[in-house]
Formats: sequence, C-alpha cells, structure tokens
Amino acid sequence: MKQLRKINLLAVIVFVCSIFWLMPLILIFINSFKPYNDMLQHFLALPKSWSLDMYIETWTKFGFPMLIKNTLLYTVVTVLAIALLAPMAAYKLARTKTKFSILCFGIIIMPMMVPFQSYMITLTRLVANLNMIGTRRGLILVNIGLCMPLAVYMIHGFVKNVPIELEECARIDGASPLRIYFNIVLPLLKPILTTVVVLDTLATWNDIITNQLIVGGNAKAMNIQNALYMQFSAQTADWEHALPGIVMSMIPSLVFFVAMQKHIVGGVTAGAVKG
Amino acid sequence: MNKKKWKDFFLFALFVFPAVAFVLFATDVPFMMNLYYSVFDWNGIGKSMTFVGLGNFVKIFTNDTLFWKGVKFTLKFAVFYVIIVNIISLVVALIMSKERKSSSIGRAFYYVPYIISLTAISLIWKFIFGAGFEALYNITGWEFFNWSWVGTPKLAFWVVVIMAVWQNVGFYMVNYIAGIIAVPKDLIEAAKIDGANNFQVFLKITVPMIMPAVSICMLTALTFAFKLFDIIMVFTKGGPANSTVSVAYNIYKEAFVNNKYGLATAKSLVFVFFVLIVTAIQLKVTKSREVEA
Repeated sequence: MKQLRKINLLAVIVFVCSIFWLMPLILIFINSFKPYNDMLQHFLALPKSWSLDMYIETWTKFGFPMLIKNTLLYTVVTVLAIALLAPMAAYKLARTKTKFSILCFGIIIMPMMVPFQSYMITLTRLVANLNMIGTRRGLILVNIGLCMPLAVYMIHGFVKNVPIELEECARIDGASPLRIYFNIVLPLLKPILTTVVVLDTLATWNDIITNQLIVGGNAKAMNIQNALYMQFSAQTADWEHALPGIVMSMIPSLVFFVAMQKHIVGGVTAGAVKG
Repeated sequence: MNKKKWKDFFLFALFVFPAVAFVLFATDVPFMMNLYYSVFDWNGIGKSMTFVGLGNFVKIFTNDTLFWKGVKFTLKFAVFYVIIVNIISLVVALIMSKERKSSSIGRAFYYVPYIISLTAISLIWKFIFGAGFEALYNITGWEFFNWSWVGTPKLAFWVVVIMAVWQNVGFYMVNYIAGIIAVPKDLIEAAKIDGANNFQVFLKITVPMIMPAVSICMLTALTFAFKLFDIIMVFTKGGPANSTVSVAYNIYKEAFVNNKYGLATAKSLVFVFFVLIVTAIQLKVTKSREVEA
C-alpha cells in the first residue's frame, strides 16, 4: 500500500514538472484566442470564446497558403534528393576500398567537424556569385548540400554491417550493379533511411537560418518560419496575429513528432552524438 | 582489364559524385573561400580588394575589443549553459527513466521544444518576457516581473541561457535515459540483496555506469555553446548594447552589417580553430566509449 502511494506521488510530480516545462507553449495556445487587452488582463485564464476568427484572418492576411506551399516544396525536394543520393554514395563508399574513395568520404564528412557558422558568410557569397540569392533553386541546392554529410555518415555506418554475401550471390547470378543496388541493397537500408528522412524533414521544415541567408527578404520564396520571423520580430509585435501564426506554424512539426516519435528520438541521439 | 577499370570508375562516379558535388558546393568550397578572402581588405560588394596579408589576423588579436567581448560572452554562456542544461536533463532523465506510462508522456513533453522551429521559440519567449510578464506583474505585483528582461544587459544574458536550456533539455535527457537504461539490472539487484539502499545504488552503481553519457553530453553542450548563433540572430540580435554578441554572431555582423568581409572571414578561421580543438576532444572521448562498448 505504502509502495503504491509513493509511486503515485512520483507520477504526480513528473506530470506537474512536465506541464510546467510546456507552460510557455500552453500560454501561447490559450492566448492565441484572445484580443490583446484580454492577454494583458486575463493572461492565465482560458479565452472567453474559442473563436477561430483571428486564425482565419492570419491565414489569409499573411499568405499562409503560399508559405506552406514553399515550405513543403523545400522539404519534399530536399528530402527526396537526400533519400536518392545519400544511400547511393554511402553504399559505394563503404564497399570501395581505394584511396580515392577515402578522399571522397573525407570531402563529404568534413563539414561535420567544421561549424556551419564558419562558412555561412562565404556560402552566401558563393550563392550570390551564381546569381541565386533570393531564389528557390538556390535554397534547395544549399539545403541538399547541408543535409548530405550527416545522412551519408549515418548510412555509411549502417552499410558496413550489411552482409556482402547477398550482393555477391546476385552478381554471380548475373545481376547488374544498378539492379543489385536498387533491388537488394536499398531495401536493406530502410531502417536507417527512415531515420535520415525523418530528421531531414524536421530540419528543413523548421529551418530559419539558411532561409534568412539565401532567400532573405524575397517574399515569394520565403518559407513559413522566415516569413513569421520577418513579420513579427519587430519591436512592437502584433500579437493578435503573431500567436495564431506561431501555433499554425508549429502544428505540422508537432503532428509529425507524435507520429514519428520513435524515429526522431532514436535518430537524433544516434546522429548528434557523433558530430 | 583496362575496360573493367573504367567501368568500375564510371559506376563509382555515378553513385558518389552527385553527393560529393552538393557537399562541395554548400560546404567545402565556401570553407576554402575563407582562406582566400581572409588575406584581403574588402567590403564584400565593391571591386577594390586590397591585399593585406596577415593584417586581418593581427587586427583580431591586437585591436578588436568587440570580438574579445564576444569571446568573453561565449565562454560565460558556455559555463552556465553546460552546467545548467546537464543538471536539469540528468535529474529529469533519472525521474523519467522508469518504464511507466506517465514517464513516456513526460519525456515527450520535455522533447517538444527541441523539435519546434527557432522562430516559434524566439517569438514565444518574446511574448512571455514582454506581454506575459507585464500581465503577471499586474496580477502578482512582484517586482521580478517588472524588470526589463530583454532590455538590460545582465538580464538579457539569462534570457539567452533560459531559451537555450529550454530548447535543448529534451535532447540531453534522451541521451541520459539511454545511458541509465543501459545499466545492467542484475548489478542493481545484486547490490540490493547485499543490503544497499536506493541512494547507495545510485551513487555507487548508476553514477559510475553513466559517466560516459555524462562526458558526451558535457562535450556536446560545450560545442553547442561555442557555436551559439541561431538564438542570438533570431532573438536578441546581440543587444542590448552588444551585451549578447557571441563569437559567431560577431563574425556574421562583421560581414553583413559592418561590411568588413575580409576581416569576417579571418575571424571565421580563428573561430574554427577553437571549435576544432573541442571537437577533437569530443571525438576522442566518443571513440574511446565505442571501444569499451
């Protein structure tokens, strides 16, 4: 009996602490339904009505359909390119034991050692020299390049543990190298590939820094994070529109997190400790 | 034979070169460009570039108070961030490592700030420290809520620490939980049969067994702190009165605000050198753990 009470008490403490940790998010959510005066006067109270008017107004006033389209475009193209190219490179690099192969692997994982902040200025310069500042394709090319190192590194580590015998059998049976890769190797890489895809989806969807540097103030090519940042980070913020905007920008990440929790938590641990 | 060699190379190129090309474009080439620009005096826009040799580096080490102010801020941030984030996440991990339904939900709660975008995080805290604190002051009358948190240099430092900790605790917590779960159960049971109480078990078994996780989390936190940039760029912009300018943000400002492009790239190289030292230690520690495991 005493044991039971102790456990329950601990569970309650856990629960209270967790709620407290999420308090900022909860406050944002309940205040997003209030007019500004109510925010100041009834900050901790639930809103008087759960009307979606401000949400709808923010949606149209700040061009959310376009922003979501842009963000989706960046995320989908980046993730598809990574999912196609990273496993190909990682597989071939792991299976080829030449000096040139080691050099290529070095070139790909070098950025994991060097902080992004040390080459972001020159990266912006390079993109500007190619006349791609403010363009969608400039941002996509950069995003793919930035996501590639960790993806190749993680898959490379995985391929080393995939038995080579299967491939050799298929080769003896006369299958072409491309066929061996797509029909035999790629299906075996599915677990690590899922992790990579999930991590890069989150990273691209939430990206603000690269979008700021490459797209900057070009309203047509902004993603949702950059647009919200440009609109609302000024000194006097328009909270009546900002709060619904924040909530709407977070919903996709939160839904994605709930659906993919296992992959996200496991993947982040596996990837980040290494680099 | 020769034909086979060419075929092999062609296949290698087909598989590897696209990835290499993207990485070269987005990271390696820009990094190398640092070496080139760092020996010039250039505003980043005009055509006139003056060769100054190591002049930029000399300037950094002899005549650049803002840069060294940034170094001081970054080191101070690193000390507080590493300690606070590790203590909180270790405590949370110890509570949450028990297999029970409430703790798996609790873990998710702590993890949420890690997966939302920095824009949301910075706007959320802007709202809390601004309108939120104003409202709380009206309710409670506590002077604490009436302080100008974002506007005072001393308090702005803590705003940055609070945001960074809030955002990242979930990440370290997950790493600690992985370490705690890996502690062999039979070891704990044996100790309990021998009469050890919970506190002794924690001190004599859990703590030594999770030391690898502790060292890795500390070093990861340290590299994060050294590279501190995103929160500064999105939230404080280095203000008030340059009190929250981190090294990385100082470099960014030098290039894009002060238009001292050559100097900024030289600073980038100095910055890389310091971060590489920490990364090298980190890799060594991670490697040694892998051998053990």
